[in-house]
Amino acid sequence: MSGRVIVITSGKGGVGKTTTSANIGTALARAGKKVVLIDTDLGLRNLDLLLGLENRIVYTIVDVVEERCKLKQALVKDKKNPNLCLLAAAQTRDKSAITQEQLKDICEELKKDYDFILVDCPAGIEQGFQNAIAGASEAIVVTTPEMSAVRDADRIIGLLEAKEEIQSYKLLLNRVRPNLIKSNDMMSVEDVVEILSADLVGIIPEDTGIITSTNKGDPIVNDDSSLAGKAYNNVARRIMGEDVPFMNLEEDRGVISKVKKFFSGLIGKEK
Amino acid sequence: MRDIFQDLFNKVFGFFRQAEKEENAKDTAVNRLRVVLMQDRTNLTPELLEKMRGELIELLSKYVEMDKDALELNFEQEGNQMALMLSIPVLRAKDEDEIETENSEDSDEAEEKPEEENLDAENSESTEDTESSAEDTQDEESETKESNTNSKDKSK
Repeated sequence: MSGRVIVITSGKGGVGKTTTSANIGTALARAGKKVVLIDTDLGLRNLDLLLGLENRIVYTIVDVVEERCKLKQALVKDKKNPNLCLLAAAQTRDKSAITQEQLKDICEELKKDYDFILVDCPAGIEQGFQNAIAGASEAIVVTTPEMSAVRDADRIIGLLEAKEEIQSYKLLLNRVRPNLIKSNDMMSVEDVVEILSADLVGIIPEDTGIITSTNKGDPIVNDDSSLAGKAYNNVARRIMGEDVPFMNLEEDRGVISKVKKFFSGLIGKEK
Repeated sequence: MRDIFQDLFNKVFGFFRQAEKEENAKDTAVNRLRVVLMQDRTNLTPELLEKMRGELIELLSKYVEMDKDALELNFEQEGNQMALMLSIPVLRAKDEDEIETENSEDSDEAEEKPEEENLDAENSESTEDTESSAEDTQDEESETKESNTNSKDKSK
């Protein structure tokens, strides 16, 4: 087996890299793929929290690099899905604790046994970013329809293009708010795609469910009724090579607008 | 009474006109982003822009007298293309004698400091982009000329 190593990156912090990593990883595992999630944000680890695995971590990626344990010992199995495991970041160390070479070696090793190795990249374009992309051959650039996030994504794309090992990168547009786009208060999906001229792999609507799912340590893809969960599932399917159309957020927002329509219909009749 | 109505009409009409003209937040974001990305991608930093501005003033001063502080040099979105817009408030066009003397003074200067020119050559890479939009610059220039004094200059 030779797995695919995909780095999830953004440049700007807080756009949803870790949420995206957790959800795509979970979705791929739910689809029967063997997945490892690697948290490379040394000193600021969070992927364990999003997966609800914070109490199960014994060894971290730094322990593996410094040979205090074997790679397999450091992989923490997900509670719900045996196909998914996490290689956690060390919380007490900084980005210099591992090198690009070491991360590359870890990815090579994991490729033998897993279908997907998803690398959750720290914010910024310094060493942490360089480490995270070292072992990857594909990238997902997470951005939101905000100026600062798009600008940083553009910078990241420039850096990814300069990196020979990265064969392809795709754009994931997160926290999209259809009603703000409709009122011309937010850049549309088309605007962002045009500005960055990159291929899309997913459009994720803003969803308050993300907050509750993070609080519970249960990725939103496990909630089949959630819109963002569905969108993340679609991303996973696209990564696996399926041709999944982008969902119409306007339409899916439906329930509320349908209720509104229903009521406005009633009022209309009364008159 | 009539005044009140007229006033009201103007206000209402003015409001609608303003609403029409005003760019929405999305367009503002797209336009600002395009400009900033243009700068990011070409490495044309504000310092370089400032340098370019200075050199343009120097060059154009040979031919026209202008309000140097009000000269504007900016990137603007023109359809799909990025244009470098130069707006020069012209005070007075110089006559030929003045231009002649300026030019001869200038050639003396050039002989005096050849080193500086070498330094400029290093930056020539980033200024290349601006050459392509030189047309826009000219358009803008003539625009300002029209709006300002001295039509004498147009004959040249």
